[in-house]
Amino acid sequence: MNELINENNLLKKVATAYNIKGNVIRDRRVEVFANKELVSSILLYAKLQLGYVHLAHITCIDWIEEGDFELVYTIWSPVERIHLFVKTRINRVNPEMENIDGIWDQANTYEREMREMFGIQFPGLIGEHEFILEDWDQIPPMLKEFDTHKYASETFFTRPGREDAQDVRETLSKRSGTDVPDFAKKYSRET
Amino acid sequence: MIREKETTLYLGPQHPGITGNMMVKLKVQGDTIVKAATHVGYLHRAFEKLIERRNWIQAFTLLCRFCVPEPDPMELTYARAVEELDNREVPERAQYIRVIVMELARMQSFMLWYAGQAGSAGLYTLGQWSVGDRNYLLDLFEDLTGGRIYHMYIWPGGVRRDIPEGWKDKVLRTMDYIEKRLFDYNQIMFDNTIFQKRAQGVGIIPKDKAIEWGVVGPPLRGTGIKSDVRIDEPYEVYDKLNFEVPTFEGGDIWARALVRKEEIKQSISIIRQAIDQMPEGEYYNKVPNPMKWTVPAGQAWAKTESVRGEVGFYVVSNGTNKPYRVHVKGAAYTHGVTVLEKILPGQNIADVSFIMNSLGVCPPEIER
Repeated sequence: MNELINENNLLKKVATAYNIKGNVIRDRRVEVFANKELVSSILLYAKLQLGYVHLAHITCIDWIEEGDFELVYTIWSPVERIHLFVKTRINRVNPEMENIDGIWDQANTYEREMREMFGIQFPGLIGEHEFILEDWDQIPPMLKEFDTHKYASETFFTRPGREDAQDVRETLSKRSGTDVPDFAKKYSRET
Repeated sequence: MIREKETTLYLGPQHPGITGNMMVKLKVQGDTIVKAATHVGYLHRAFEKLIERRNWIQAFTLLCRFCVPEPDPMELTYARAVEELDNREVPERAQYIRVIVMELARMQSFMLWYAGQAGSAGLYTLGQWSVGDRNYLLDLFEDLTGGRIYHMYIWPGGVRRDIPEGWKDKVLRTMDYIEKRLFDYNQIMFDNTIFQKRAQGVGIIPKDKAIEWGVVGPPLRGTGIKSDVRIDEPYEVYDKLNFEVPTFEGGDIWARALVRKEEIKQSISIIRQAIDQMPEGEYYNKVPNPMKWTVPAGQAWAKTESVRGEVGFYVVSNGTNKPYRVHVKGAAYTHGVTVLEKILPGQNIADVSFIMNSLGVCPPEIER
């Protein structure tokens, strides 16, 4: 497609340089998939050689059924105005990823958060251990197996007088002595 | 020469000058900051985790709470990411309404900024004026959405309801009023020697480091770099409207204030144009029963320009009726940590809250 020339050129450059696969998702969106050992090199190449100087985002997705974490590095070129997503997968068991705060200072914040929330280690990461969570003794809370409802039930207590107010529809119905109104049933989880 | 002893000072989380519940741990020598470290965690409510237990629409009740002074960009950015996953078109009328909502949100947030920025320099009168006038903008939101602060009005596929009768005229009257008031605001803020001396040359972000540190929005434009998501990656109908992206050189608080001073005028202009050009027609491409609505599996990244800078949402669906992962990145995530820690050394203790206000640090956005 004519209007996606820049996106295809970008994909070709990165894919050829590192012998990896990727896609043009749509205009201004290109993704590449790489082994974790290649990620920092690709990011450095994109920053220094291709002008992708803005680190827009780093995220982690917990694919529990596949036993992987997916890390997505989103970088942006102010000149080409394209996002490049560098995606990699790491094993959920003893997860470890290369620290890139030498490439972008601000990556330090994302990495500290991922260390706490997903338990991913970044060797050489500088920064106080506790970023958001203080004295946390449970499993990392953003893991899919962490049950927020169970944690809340065990940690907090119901405000006095609100013990019966766990299901609003049923409570209102019980208190007023009437059936759950039709409009509420329509949006019920049971239907 | 007497060598001053180094002392540790904890500024916040409860401090009248700080921009929310966060703490800045300072190492100081006399009044001068030697080292700064941001400490957050006082507002962590696990929103991103809780969203994974809710359906696509229920997420909105949490999203708008990511940043209290500016909830609408969160709604819009999330809605746009979901629309991309669901391949859902948005009617043109809804796009115009969204632009008006976003610019009104920008203006009401600017009003709070005036209060915070001037207040942290000891100029309290302006804050009382601007917060008072902000209520006229909140009245518009109340008429449109039913809520003054949290709106939950922008949904995937458009907006929840059409604009009420007479609302356009009320918006235009309010714009006329605010425009006149800006003259007074600027006179007591920008013509004031106290503000000038406090703001000029303080809290400097070097131009060559700005992008490296993740600076976005008015602080980036205050270093002379022209960057705005509305221009760089136009969304809704911003590409059909004429507006300027003001930039100033210097990188200090003064430059950032000048950027905002000009931006509020642009917002008024955008709102007038959008009201003038808004077509008749549908305002909502309705989603099915929200309790059962499933979004196709995939990943989407959407970003918009909030008053503090770029807001991005990375949204992942596994094809069910709940988001698999929602990850937000607001301007405060970099401004409140990396940037603040870099620019505070060498500054005076009294300037910490002044600098934080100029960066638009919103603590709940950092820890969510």
